[in-house]
Amino acid sequence: MNDLSIPGTQSTPAIAADTNAGVLRMSGESYPENAYELFAPVFEWVEAFLAETDRPLLIELELLYLNTSSIKTVMDVFDLLESAHQRQRDVAVRWYFDQQNERIGELAEEFREDCTFPFHVIGK
Amino acid sequence: MNANELYALRERLLESRTLLCFNGPISRSLIEEFGNALKRYLELDQVKPAEAMDVFSVYIEMTQNIRHYTQSRAYSDADSAATVVISREDGHYVVSAGNLVENTDGLGLVERIQALAALDKAELRALYKTQLRLPRDPARPESAGLGLIEIARRASAPLQASLGAPIGERAFFSLSVVI
Repeated sequence: MNDLSIPGTQSTPAIAADTNAGVLRMSGESYPENAYELFAPVFEWVEAFLAETDRPLLIELELLYLNTSSIKTVMDVFDLLESAHQRQRDVAVRWYFDQQNERIGELAEEFREDCTFPFHVIGK
Repeated sequence: MNANELYALRERLLESRTLLCFNGPISRSLIEEFGNALKRYLELDQVKPAEAMDVFSVYIEMTQNIRHYTQSRAYSDADSAATVVISREDGHYVVSAGNLVENTDGLGLVERIQALAALDKAELRALYKTQLRLPRDPARPESAGLGLIEIARRASAPLQASLGAPIGERAFFSLSVVI
């Protein structure tokens, strides 16, 4: 499986997936019209990593704003982690946010409520 | 438009403390560019980051809804024109947007928005959570069905939607949101 390295734009986050390290990072704003399409490679990478390796997976996020299309897609990715966690896989999310803007912290908390794997919301 | 008419329009926009006003077909890049301008105006106004994000989020959801709708109905450029106004009233930002819709769609939309407007924040949150967990519509996988709920959650007053008098099979739909 390949690493991912997708540069960010004004409305899409920078995406980097490192297969050796078992880390997926996404940072920036995310409000594409069709997030389903944008995140398809991310979804596929996470699926492949969980299927083809048995190593821990860490997702590090520094997403500053998400439209609802992106929110739905990020939830799909977390669902993959949730079912992997049910199978005893070592998975975790770290979501960093700027404490000046409580909205993104609230959003991350709402995601966290639906997940039972380690999910850290970290204000900076 | 002659000078007097233009001046009258300008005065009208100044009076209603308009930050941003647009009428015409909207593209993906136009939404981004106006979004950037909006962010800058909000910064200049020294709006708190959370409130600025509420305004921006409502603007994005509303304009992307219009884009998705006019594309799904395969409207011409002229028919897919959006009217977008962001202004300030009584200490609140107000985001308003309107576009042509099929009459029957418009009636359904107004009904759905009125139902959302009657919910309190806790009910909206519960509805949002339920919708987030629903499987995607295979016909429209890009749609999360969350946009209007998100807009209602960011509003500080009940949403106001209306449908103008029918123009043939269509009518002008408008939604106004107080942040």
